[in-house]
Amino acid sequence: MVWTGLLIGIIFGVILQRGRICFNSAFRDVLIFKDNYLMKLAALAIALQSITLLLFAQLGVIKLAPMPLNWVANIVGGYVFGLGMVLAGGCASGVTYRIGEGMTTSWLAGLIFGLTAQATSSGLFSNWMKWLGNFNVTVKPNSSVYASKVGPTLATIFNVNPWIVTLIVAAPLIWYAFGTKTSQRETKLNWIWAAVLIAILQPIAWWASAAAGRNYGLGITGGWTNILSVYTANKQLNWIGIEVLGIIIGAMISAIATKEFKLRMPKDPKTYLQVMVGGALMGFGAATAGGCNIGHFLTGVPTLAISSIVSSIFFILGNWTMAWLLFGRER
Amino acid sequence: MAKYQVNKSIDVRGEVCPIPDVETKRALKDMKPGEILEVWIDYPLSKERIPETVKKLGHEVLEIEEVGKSEWKIYIKVKG
Repeated sequence: MVWTGLLIGIIFGVILQRGRICFNSAFRDVLIFKDNYLMKLAALAIALQSITLLLFAQLGVIKLAPMPLNWVANIVGGYVFGLGMVLAGGCASGVTYRIGEGMTTSWLAGLIFGLTAQATSSGLFSNWMKWLGNFNVTVKPNSSVYASKVGPTLATIFNVNPWIVTLIVAAPLIWYAFGTKTSQRETKLNWIWAAVLIAILQPIAWWASAAAGRNYGLGITGGWTNILSVYTANKQLNWIGIEVLGIIIGAMISAIATKEFKLRMPKDPKTYLQVMVGGALMGFGAATAGGCNIGHFLTGVPTLAISSIVSSIFFILGNWTMAWLLFGRER
Repeated sequence: MAKYQVNKSIDVRGEVCPIPDVETKRALKDMKPGEILEVWIDYPLSKERIPETVKKLGHEVLEIEEVGKSEWKIYIKVKG
């Protein structure tokens, strides 16, 4: 059943590559370039997914599993991850799909990202994670759409039906997507279609992943650590590991088919140092926070998990801090 | 050979996001009205985003020329 991850990953990789979906750009562009194109894609994808995920859960196909809330981990990890993605030239998914496009800086950033995430979750820095574990907050869910022990969500905090909060959260996001002016961009897969495709893929991915023993939706970080432990410690390849491989393969197929594959190298080798530092910060941050821009922002926020909402706020603040330091004068 | 009377040329192939966009804006800032900037890129996202960014600043995009495999030159005329 692990193999469904490959198929889901390939589809996700094609969507990411065609839609140029990078959350580093999404966050940064609204600040530095006054461009909301990718932010709208993200807002619409989150709104639609909050509905499709809940629908699947309501029908009993999946059980939502919001991650435990951990103020220290979510805030510190989120902020460090946000700083790192600007230096790495892409978020966790951005770096991963660009590997398939032949971006050599992303190869290095991705590898260091995975290595540092692994060091943080189970290697040299694992004591830090063990200590952080003391602050995990979980609750007994108030609805059958959730798994047995989950992190608090907007629905559990206010003790209301998840549908009510979901619709309250989705409405302003959909208004933002369609009610405000959109930056123009000649993208092959436009933001509305990309968001719709993600909203369809996400619950299917969750269902397939749960069937393989991992009850969560799309992700990146866990996949990278899995791939590295397969390579270095002969561990078993799991669903999320093969999904990440699928993303790289999907992006590569898509890039080759559209003549966009090319080995890209920066002229100044110092750029490689910059992306390595960025990758390390991202790996430490994502492992600490319990997820990256996909696990927390794209997949977690639609489940209304407080952990994912807090992490995402700090992804954005970290991103803005570093983008301001590097490119603030270009506004 | 040159299509336009290019006053300045920047080569941002292989640079990580968003260096091509930033370098383009920096170059445009130092140029006089009517001058032409040539931006050499190899990343599809840059090809889609840079023209929109410079148009918003009031400059004119003369042409996006495909010059190789996943390589383009964007010609921008400074406003004024």
